[in-house]
Amino acid sequence: MNTIPVIINDKKLDVDPGKTILEVCRENDIEMLTMCHLKGVMDIGACRLCLVEVEGANKLMSACTTRVNANMIVRTATDKIKRYQRITTELFFAERNHVCSVCVANGKCELQQLGYKVELDHIRYPHLFPQCEVDTSHPWYVMDHNRCIMCTRCVRVCTEVEGAHNWDVMNRGHQVRIISDFNTPWGESITCTSCGKCLHACPTGAIWPKAIVQGQLEKKPEMLSELMEKRKMKL
Amino acid sequence: MDKRRIFISPVTRIEGHANITIELDDDGNVQDALFHVNEFRGFEKFCEGRMYTEMPTITPRICGICPTSHTLASVKACEMIQGTQPTYTANLLRRLMHIGQNLSSHALSFFHLSSPDFLLGYDSDPAKRNILGIAEKYPDIAVKGIRLRKFGQELSERITGKKIHIMGIVPGGMAYPLTEENRKALLQWIPEATQTVQLGLSIIKRFHEENADMVNSFAPSPTLYLGTVGPNGEHELYDGKLRFMDADGSILNDQVSPTDYLNYIAERSVNWSYLKYPYYKPYGFDKGFYRVGPLARLNVASKMRTPLAQKEFEIFKSMNGGKPVHGTFYFHYTRLIEALSDVEDAERILNDPQVTSLHIQHHGRWNYDEGIGSSEAPRGTLFHHYKTDETGKLVKVNLLIATGQNNPSMNRSVLEVAKQYVKGDDIKEGMLNRVESAIRCYDPCLSCSTHAIGQMPMVIELTNKKGELIKRIERG
Repeated sequence: MNTIPVIINDKKLDVDPGKTILEVCRENDIEMLTMCHLKGVMDIGACRLCLVEVEGANKLMSACTTRVNANMIVRTATDKIKRYQRITTELFFAERNHVCSVCVANGKCELQQLGYKVELDHIRYPHLFPQCEVDTSHPWYVMDHNRCIMCTRCVRVCTEVEGAHNWDVMNRGHQVRIISDFNTPWGESITCTSCGKCLHACPTGAIWPKAIVQGQLEKKPEMLSELMEKRKMKL
Repeated sequence: MDKRRIFISPVTRIEGHANITIELDDDGNVQDALFHVNEFRGFEKFCEGRMYTEMPTITPRICGICPTSHTLASVKACEMIQGTQPTYTANLLRRLMHIGQNLSSHALSFFHLSSPDFLLGYDSDPAKRNILGIAEKYPDIAVKGIRLRKFGQELSERITGKKIHIMGIVPGGMAYPLTEENRKALLQWIPEATQTVQLGLSIIKRFHEENADMVNSFAPSPTLYLGTVGPNGEHELYDGKLRFMDADGSILNDQVSPTDYLNYIAERSVNWSYLKYPYYKPYGFDKGFYRVGPLARLNVASKMRTPLAQKEFEIFKSMNGGKPVHGTFYFHYTRLIEALSDVEDAERILNDPQVTSLHIQHHGRWNYDEGIGSSEAPRGTLFHHYKTDETGKLVKVNLLIATGQNNPSMNRSVLEVAKQYVKGDDIKEGMLNRVESAIRCYDPCLSCSTHAIGQMPMVIELTNKKGELIKRIERG
């Protein structure tokens, strides 16, 4: 296959055309922050953490949804990008009710790890403290909207991997919510297969099994990616 | 009558802030004293709507000193909802962690907060009447006290990886086992810990001998007592049944299941405090004051579980001819007897061949819509009571916490000490310290949560009826 040259952080790389900037960065050990990206399912550029500077573009581009072009010059770790990543992370924490100390995902949470990576020591924006529902209607799982960051990984995994499309999104802005079927309690869903893939896709403590408590949560998002890879294999 | 009031504001924080009002009559005699807790935390309310299984994680955050007791009461309530029981090894590990917390808390209370009064004197320079003053004058004692607390915290750390706000106590058992390496490391602490507790006992006994009048007259009013006991009436912290005792030592109710606590305990709100007033239901609000904590536990117990503690227990029991000892000051002595029992019991558990077993959890799920759990926190009996809907979501939470149960008695002890030491317009430093000391005997969260150097920030203002300031003493 023909390759194309790109320059990322002043380093020249020969890469396969058609790949996204994020894929190229990950393949070349260039650290990228992401929350909504889950390898194997469609990227939507929702979290805005993988923004990069592309020379010639008048705005920052999301690396997960931007494909590489020949001779593209990309910067991933400028001061501006780091500032934006910090702002984005602060807004995640300010929007809903994230209390790591009592969260079932404490120590196993991608949002918490993101906080450490951007050296989050305080939040400059007023917390919204919305009143969010905890949906406990499913016999095995809990959906806690307080901890949801609207990455929609659950929606995409449910649709693309399981094929059930139980999860979807309603409303806009900070009123936006993940819904089950047509906004019915999860336990009353007629599409959910109770497979638990959304649990493994969720990067925070928003979806978790009822059977466990803090310290016992094990999420395996890589298992979902492997599943998608296996499906591509020709037996 | 022209009433005058002394305001002590703030006393310090009990999971918030507290004030004291002392009312004087025209002649400067104390008429009344009110202990106000004027902060609201709202755990019972904001836990509604959460899954019941989250409670063992949320409720330890009520207190940084007794998180294990909260976790234990909480998991027991969860286990009642599930209909599960912890494994044998899980019970051992839970006991170990509870012992660790009790030991750590008692060491903090005695060596850090209270020993400056015993070793340096109530009227000594307040600037040095703290653990730093002890470190200066008695460095050996200060170090031993600090190390005893370290041992207590290490008991939790070596099982769950955390000293405070531990994780790993889960409905049905434990999430983490104890390794053989950690078991051996913990066992090495036992001789030193035993020696330190016995040092504490010698300090308090000497103080008793040298200050017998003060000790025996320090807020000595009789009350009822509540504590947890084993099947044969033995002293118990982790698991057992409730025993209520009257002021004369008659057992009012024995082997009461903690799940029946509402048949015996009621609560009433008062208009001067956010902290409710629990009371022994059969006796009513006016006569039903009861106390919990180490003094109560030893008053209600028939015996201790370990030999060295049993010897001290017999000395304690002989102080009032086998009847309950009411003097509030004896909280300190009983705290140390418990600490001795803790160290002995820790050794027994660490030598149990099953303590390192990997069979640590039974698994269950929601089966019942109500759960009640109790444990003996360092400050006394603690109840967690949850009601859920059919999905496991909490619809009602009631937390009856030890400091709350001691609240009416603390109020009365403050009044008694104020009557004894406050007179007229002349407020002396010694009076300030003795009012503080009456509260500290109960070791409520106000002495343990923030003021580790053993001195509460206090302002006492003496005003006339018009609110005009007559005198002000400030310390902080």
